[in-house]
Amino acid sequence: MKKSGNFIFQKYDTENLINRRAALVTIAKAGIFSALIGRLAYLQIAKNSNYKKLSDKNRITHRFLEPERGIIFDLQGRPIAINKQKYEVIIIKEETRDVKRSLVNLKSILPKANIDIEKILKEVNSRKKFIPIGIVDDLTWQEFSKINVNIHKLEGVYPQIGFKRYYTQGESHSHLIGYVSTISKSEEESNPLSKLSTAKAGKIGVEKAKDAILRGKLGNKNIEVNASGREIRELDRVNSVQGNYVQLTIDSELQKFCYERLKGLSGSVSVINVKNGEFYALASSPSYDPNIFSKSISNETWENLLSNKYKPLINKSISNQYPPGSTIKPFVALAALESGVSHRETFFCNGKHQIEDTSLDSGYKTFHCWKKEGHGNVDMTEAIKVSCDVYFYQIARRIGINKIAEVCKRYGLGEKVFKSLYEEKSGVVPNKQWKLENLGTRWMVGETLSAGIGQGYFLTTAAQLSLALAQLINDGNRLNPKLIYDNDVPTVYDERIIADPKYLKIIKNALDAATNAPGGTSYRSRIIGEYKMAGKTGTSQVRAISIKEREEGLIKNKDLPWEKRDHGLFIGYGPTTDPKYAVSVIVEHGGSGSGSAAPIASDIFKYLFDKKLSLKRNEIFNV
Amino acid sequence: MFNQNNIYSSAFTKIKSINYPLLGLIIILFFVGLAALLSISNGEFNSWPLKHSQRFILGLIIFFLVIFFDLRLIFGYAYVIFFLSIISLAVIPFIGIESNGATRWINIAGISLQPSEFVKYTLILALAKYFHSINNDSNFIKTLIIPLIITVVPVFLVITQPDLGTALIILLGGVSLFWISGLNYKYFIVGVFSILCSLPVLWQYLKDYQKDRVLTFFNPERDPLGNGYHIMQSKIALGSGGIFGKGYMEGTQSHLNFLPEMQTDFIFTMLGEEFGFIGTLLILLIYAALIMISIRLALKSRSLFSKYLSLGVCNVFFIYVFVNIGMVTGLLPVVGVPLPFISYGGSSMLAVMFGFGLLMNCYINRNIIIEKTNY
Repeated sequence: MKKSGNFIFQKYDTENLINRRAALVTIAKAGIFSALIGRLAYLQIAKNSNYKKLSDKNRITHRFLEPERGIIFDLQGRPIAINKQKYEVIIIKEETRDVKRSLVNLKSILPKANIDIEKILKEVNSRKKFIPIGIVDDLTWQEFSKINVNIHKLEGVYPQIGFKRYYTQGESHSHLIGYVSTISKSEEESNPLSKLSTAKAGKIGVEKAKDAILRGKLGNKNIEVNASGREIRELDRVNSVQGNYVQLTIDSELQKFCYERLKGLSGSVSVINVKNGEFYALASSPSYDPNIFSKSISNETWENLLSNKYKPLINKSISNQYPPGSTIKPFVALAALESGVSHRETFFCNGKHQIEDTSLDSGYKTFHCWKKEGHGNVDMTEAIKVSCDVYFYQIARRIGINKIAEVCKRYGLGEKVFKSLYEEKSGVVPNKQWKLENLGTRWMVGETLSAGIGQGYFLTTAAQLSLALAQLINDGNRLNPKLIYDNDVPTVYDERIIADPKYLKIIKNALDAATNAPGGTSYRSRIIGEYKMAGKTGTSQVRAISIKEREEGLIKNKDLPWEKRDHGLFIGYGPTTDPKYAVSVIVEHGGSGSGSAAPIASDIFKYLFDKKLSLKRNEIFNV
Repeated sequence: MFNQNNIYSSAFTKIKSINYPLLGLIIILFFVGLAALLSISNGEFNSWPLKHSQRFILGLIIFFLVIFFDLRLIFGYAYVIFFLSIISLAVIPFIGIESNGATRWINIAGISLQPSEFVKYTLILALAKYFHSINNDSNFIKTLIIPLIITVVPVFLVITQPDLGTALIILLGGVSLFWISGLNYKYFIVGVFSILCSLPVLWQYLKDYQKDRVLTFFNPERDPLGNGYHIMQSKIALGSGGIFGKGYMEGTQSHLNFLPEMQTDFIFTMLGEEFGFIGTLLILLIYAALIMISIRLALKSRSLFSKYLSLGVCNVFFIYVFVNIGMVTGLLPVVGVPLPFISYGGSSMLAVMFGFGLLMNCYINRNIIIEKTNY
């Protein structure tokens, strides 16, 4: 056998060869085993603490617990906004490897549910990966259990029981209470609940105003989860805290009565206690069912609510502003009395009042009384009773706009009644300075005349009118208008608004006459019985009446299209002997105050008188 | 020298001459696997642990059956056995059972078998016989090309299943035998060099998921929720086990399902999490001892065939262990190779027992001289 390096297989001295090569292989094996042991030592000893952390991070996850929202009660302690259980489904991005697949699977399990995969994907990707994103709400028990059965196909998807808001009084309270909906981007920073995408926040009304009180505190828990994110056991938990309750001064039955009375009309009613400023009713019509917002509302429903010409979404008692019309007259009269005008002084009304106006061809401008043929000689009491415009043109001109504005503001006009309601409007009490600042032009005398009968730039809300009347009627005590009980705020400010009760008496007598004396503007709506009401009607124009139109004869309101008819207003109080309530009623495009608003006020007072004046707070102690 | 009676020993003497330390280590490893499976099934014996035991008993039967066969008979039928196993591989595309995108199983009498597991050993058998028979003066084609073809055919068949891991083990097992049987080391240099050169070309033929796995191996953070997930979770499980482990049945990674395939390919990880470095070291030492004993037994045989066969079986076994542990510790790409005797898996268990049966047969009949045949 030749020994040569050119063999293919060495077939000599095989014994030695095998031993040698097997030895080499064995050394290689020993080397590899050492490497494996070294690797294990590296992973398990050197890097142990590192991997231990990762392992804990794997298995322990943090979940927030949704708090239950605080209950809203009415004056008598009836629950108005409560919470109901609902079945919902959420998804957590970091606990699924494929969000889309999970969603597609969910959709195949719930073919009827409205799952917009693209929309949810967008939402999931825009949020932090550990934030649960709501997929569907308000499932039936059958659907809910179907998900639980198929849970293994739904990585990262969690069926859970959540809360939905339920409004026991429905439409009648919807403007006042408002509703809750998903927390919007702009609210995220100020609302700690935004860590939970399923959490809701108040969007309007009391729900928004008192959201910070109602929302409660998030709880949280640490749980051990398996690889697909399923909870295996709870490690620790801090329970969520239910939001505080809120008690309203509103009496839900009265509120409902007012709302029902407005049915078919567009308008509002505001009822206030003249002694302590508590609002017992703040109704607006037409309305909507606030419970539709607890589910995901369809675009069509929303569009319909927005485009409806009767504006069902607007709270007309605080968010719509109206010229007060003749309801301003008691305040103008008060301003006159304070300016030294005697209530006995008479003015002659021939149906119109003319002032110089060089800008017009005729050289003068004519202001008309509502009564074409005039009222003759009228003093203050008679002027309020019959609502004579010419009388008020003349005294307004004499005392000037600034005095009128000062008195109106003192009684709360042109200022928000409830500081807390975001949707409330403040109205306008115009004066010279206001016009210069807002319109950039000088005040005209004619505008003082318009202001004297509550027209022109004047704008008020129903709530303002009722508050102003209440403070006028309660012998001039400044009230702290109240919608929500809050123990820190006194019911009556330790302050009187006006000095002279004598003047108030004159105004009260005049208002009494306007309702209870024959010829008074609201005489037809008077209440006959132990308790009486008194008040002032108002009709506010929504359009200018041209000279031509006036010459051709006024068109009756009922012959005009709805949008062009005058607003009907009424402010009243009762009982006349010891006033307790003040009411303002506004009927949009109702024609006249005496025809549309006064009868509603009359019915409300009858209702209040029937209740033997028993509206009283029933305090909530244990919730 | 040797008495003929020794050569034709009875069944009793065969059993008596088994190397019991080796069998003992095998049984110990089986119990390690049983304990692991019991933990994974949360103490429920009637699932994986029961089937694992049944398979081990079946494996023992195969082990003894192989021992009782005459070694010369095995030598004589080596090519036939190899041929049959190749046939079983070749028919897979037609009658195989698909699972997870790969077709690796065939159904024989109601039992699913993975022929590629057995081919690892039948290839060794065939090559051992071939290398036993070649002469020094054999020409190039006869001595090198034919055994290369014998090796490449099953490797190719398994790659197409596709099953890269098993193909790799078959290839490495075969190559190791070329080395043992004295192939000039120059060919190894040429071979390694040409494989390195052809890697870019081979890359084109890999399936997408195989490419992903290789890429992920080099950078597990590339896709932590996809392909990198397994290896990341495996490392976390091992690493968080520490020196002493989290305790039996206390592994959070495994019991909360973060570990993939933990009853099969990743079972070592689960043991590492629960028993720590002490546990993994002990298991590695058992494997090392088993391999050392195997090498010692192999070298005692007189015939080249026996030596080749035994060393081949031992090498395949080693490669199994190395690839599996290398894979779960992140040293090698995830290729799907079970850990012998411990992982849950029927074909692997039966094949390994078949292999050790061959090894033990060679040891028992270590004094038999086998003539060269005309291959």
